[in-house]
Amino acid sequence: MIHVNRLTKSFRDLRRGTVTAVDRVSFDVRPGEIFGLLGPNGAGKTTCLRILSTVLRPTAGIATIAGFNVDTHPAEVRARIGFMSGNTGVYDRMTARELVQYYGRLYGMPEEALERRLDELFATLQMNDFRDTLGAKMSTGMKQKVSIARTIIHDPPVMIFDEPTAGLDVLVARALLKTIASLKSQGKCIIFSTHIMREVEKLCDRVAIIHKGRILAEGSVAELERRYGQHDMEELFFDLISKHEREAAGIAC
Amino acid sequence: MLNWRNVSLIFQREVRDQLRDRRTLFMIAVLPLLLYPALGLGMMQLTLVFREQPRAVVILGAENLPNEPVLVQGDRFAEQWFTDIDDPVRRASAAARLVVITDQPGSAERVAKDDPALKPLVLLERAREIRESLANGGGAPEAKEQKRQRSGELFGKSGLQVLVVVPPEFRKHLERVREQLKSRRDGAGIPTDYERPRIVFNKADEKSQITFNRVSDVLEKWETSILDDWLRLAELDQSFTHPVLGDPVDVSLAEQMAAGIWSKLFPALLVIMSVTGAFYPAIDLVAGEKERGTMETLLICPATRTEIVLGKFFTVFLFSCTTALLNLASMGLTGKHIAGMAPAGVLARGGDVAFPPLSAVFWIVAILVPLAALFSALCLALATFARSSKEGQYYLTPLLMVTLGLTMFCLSPGVDLTPQYSVLPIVGAALLLKGLLLSPLHSGALYIYVGPVLATSLIYSALALWWAIDQFKREEVLFREGERFELRLWIKHLLRDKEPTPSFSEAAFCFVLIMLLQFFATGFLRARMITTTAGDFGRVLMQLMIMQQLAIVACPALMMGVMLTTSVRRTFRINWPGWKMLGSAALLPLVLHPVSVELLGRLKWFFGELPPEARKAMAAMGDSAVPLWFVLLTFAIAPAVCEEIAFRGFILSGLGRRGRVLLAVGLSSVAFGIMHMIPEQVFNASLMGLVLGTLAVRSGSILPCVVFHLLTNTLGVLHGRFGEVWYETTQMKAFFAFEGGMLRYRAPMLVVCIAIAAPLLWWLFRPLVTSESEMNAAREPDEDLDAAAQSERHDRAKALATHRE
Repeated sequence: MIHVNRLTKSFRDLRRGTVTAVDRVSFDVRPGEIFGLLGPNGAGKTTCLRILSTVLRPTAGIATIAGFNVDTHPAEVRARIGFMSGNTGVYDRMTARELVQYYGRLYGMPEEALERRLDELFATLQMNDFRDTLGAKMSTGMKQKVSIARTIIHDPPVMIFDEPTAGLDVLVARALLKTIASLKSQGKCIIFSTHIMREVEKLCDRVAIIHKGRILAEGSVAELERRYGQHDMEELFFDLISKHEREAAGIAC
Repeated sequence: MLNWRNVSLIFQREVRDQLRDRRTLFMIAVLPLLLYPALGLGMMQLTLVFREQPRAVVILGAENLPNEPVLVQGDRFAEQWFTDIDDPVRRASAAARLVVITDQPGSAERVAKDDPALKPLVLLERAREIRESLANGGGAPEAKEQKRQRSGELFGKSGLQVLVVVPPEFRKHLERVREQLKSRRDGAGIPTDYERPRIVFNKADEKSQITFNRVSDVLEKWETSILDDWLRLAELDQSFTHPVLGDPVDVSLAEQMAAGIWSKLFPALLVIMSVTGAFYPAIDLVAGEKERGTMETLLICPATRTEIVLGKFFTVFLFSCTTALLNLASMGLTGKHIAGMAPAGVLARGGDVAFPPLSAVFWIVAILVPLAALFSALCLALATFARSSKEGQYYLTPLLMVTLGLTMFCLSPGVDLTPQYSVLPIVGAALLLKGLLLSPLHSGALYIYVGPVLATSLIYSALALWWAIDQFKREEVLFREGERFELRLWIKHLLRDKEPTPSFSEAAFCFVLIMLLQFFATGFLRARMITTTAGDFGRVLMQLMIMQQLAIVACPALMMGVMLTTSVRRTFRINWPGWKMLGSAALLPLVLHPVSVELLGRLKWFFGELPPEARKAMAAMGDSAVPLWFVLLTFAIAPAVCEEIAFRGFILSGLGRRGRVLLAVGLSSVAFGIMHMIPEQVFNASLMGLVLGTLAVRSGSILPCVVFHLLTNTLGVLHGRFGEVWYETTQMKAFFAFEGGMLRYRAPMLVVCIAIAAPLLWWLFRPLVTSESEMNAAREPDEDLDAAAQSERHDRAKALATHRE
């Protein structure tokens, strides 16, 4: 459902010159699968996901979601994805219900279906306590739930999560991860970026390790451990990163 | 296609969100309703409590004043001299405002007791010093000037406002004249060249000026009284002194007085209120959204960027209109109320400040709509640039200053609505409103302007909105991060990371540079031309014009091209165009020239007369003293080469770098037009610029443009110089005419020309329009990508285009 081929994104920065944030990245994600994008800060995860959500446009390469090219048919792509990140906030002066309803309408859902789905979601996510609380008065956990509701109100086949547990405490993070796992069991195609190993181990079917815009390795957790002879994801991760750094330094010399 | 449901959803949400913000509600709704009454109340309080400081007038030589009619009574001027004022109470208070200190014994001491702050004794001292300094002899003009300056210094240090020096023997002289008149009953031969009292004041000092005005009023009345007395004694009629002027008849009505006030106040307020009413919501809706982290949430919803911007635009528009109307209504009602309540006299000078009639209210609303639309769109675009609300607010000041400046210009008394002003943004609307408010019942003449003003205002708003949507689509604007500006780095970047062609900003800068240089050169040109003799006029003017073209137009473009780009050839399109292009470039001027002449002739009513300098230049063009080759060099060859290098070379390449060819051609034509300054030429040049730009893009070469420009201008010169001769010698009188001192072209000629020109132009323009729309479907590339990435994108877009075919 998600197909990325040699995706590249460059910026021009006065100080650093041309910066390639995403460098010929390629991967595929199938329905009913959780794909993890693992990498340190500045690796290009957010940029890559922003391209997939049509917020940014690729410099080169192709990305298609549910058969639609993100560059040429952004509106169709947006209708079929749910996106959540640290940057997607909630409106201060809207209540939880109003926000989710607003997005539901923007997604073109008919009123009746929207109402039903709203009730259903709010029950599932246990949000009925703060249905009519204004965004400014919500706790972080409540805001997260609202964001999740907003992400899945229109039941999209594809979901994109950009470091969704950033800044959350253990309990809330756990609840969130459980929700994502349940979405997988509904047959959704999910891509998920993080720099926390535990999440990768617990949740992801397949993983791509990304560093400085390049994908260093890709496969399921078991495959990767076999391939690199490491039983600890964390060690595997550090090994790959340092090898890549050494190579880059070697080329530069 | 636009999904209006999305626009409506976004609009409703934004409005509801703004209304839930207590501060916004306060600023928009409560503040106007409270502020103006509060201000009005405050002002009223101030005027009630206000007591003007009495001003001191020193009279030296007061013993020489005649006893009757009496000028000074006690410490004041006699009340009878304040004849302008009927009410005795007010007359007394007017007299009380001028404290008279004379050098009669006891006068200064009396004043010192009542108004010690005036320091009358000190003033007397100083006054005597000044009298000394003024009196010391006459002599050469330099000595006189020195004396004046010395007196001025003394006066400034003294604290005096007005000093009256009465010469000795003054009373005796007056009495002598009176005696002679009385005995002779006839004024012939009576000498009146005695020394007169002098009034000393300082015009630059406001207090002194005001006091002087009042004192001279009094003295004039006093003088008139003496004169009347003398006339009576000489048995002459009282109205001898006014042989010609009768009393003027003022036919103004109270409503007209009020209308005068509203017509100045309302347009200014309308503009200011709609700008401020648009600005803060725009900041909050875009920059504020970025700050609060909800922008990205909005961007990933199915609504397109255009729909988002439109939704926000309508929100800002609503608030702009509401703010303006609420403020105006509140101000109007407060003003009316205060004028009614004010004590008689203080504000009565304005007449009964009647509320403007209903028709005026209708016009205010009608003109508010396009104005508010324009400001809303502009503010949205500016807000998109801002990274934070704070930065956004900094953009308000220049915008406010520009609109305020334009509005003040419109409100100056001499400025009226003309066809030319009616198509300018803001100016047209403000002038129309001023005119309509000034004479609401008799504004029939202005109704013809309503159409153009509203239409052009809406066009400007649409352009601004298009720009706002454009900005919103650009990643580097929407996701601008904190930058630290470093001059060294930026210059290094400019010179090191050169592209083959210039950037958009570089092209814009080149244009601004040319305009600035032209501004300075005009002054220089004018100064130089004044010192030229009439015989040389034509020759010198043309030399200067050639130099101007080279130095001001060609040089900056060439220098910037060499310094800032890596491929001078690509920037200036130095290629061979092919014979087809050259051929059409040579043919088009011939067929377009008659059309252009006729078109401009028909539009003369719109453009009016040429300004004097332009007319002189035109005359020089036809001046037979200057050889033809020189005229052609000045008016055809130099402009053709220099202007093409600049506008179709550097500027067009820069504007078109991001692949938006239509925009580049359009903008470069507008820039080219504006450079010509004179409205008629602006219009003509803009149209020509469209053809030239298209030629440049289609042929990839600057040569056809030079040829076209050269031939067009040559035809213009020949038309002016030999038009008459041609008309007289030609056999084909059916095609030509001679009117208004120049050769004109009749309908058959025009038909032939248009028949040839139209298909040619169609062939020229069509690919430009169709390929542009294809490129738009694939969306435009970003600015500032490196060339390789950009060309890859270009190839992809082309591949997509061909694939779809």
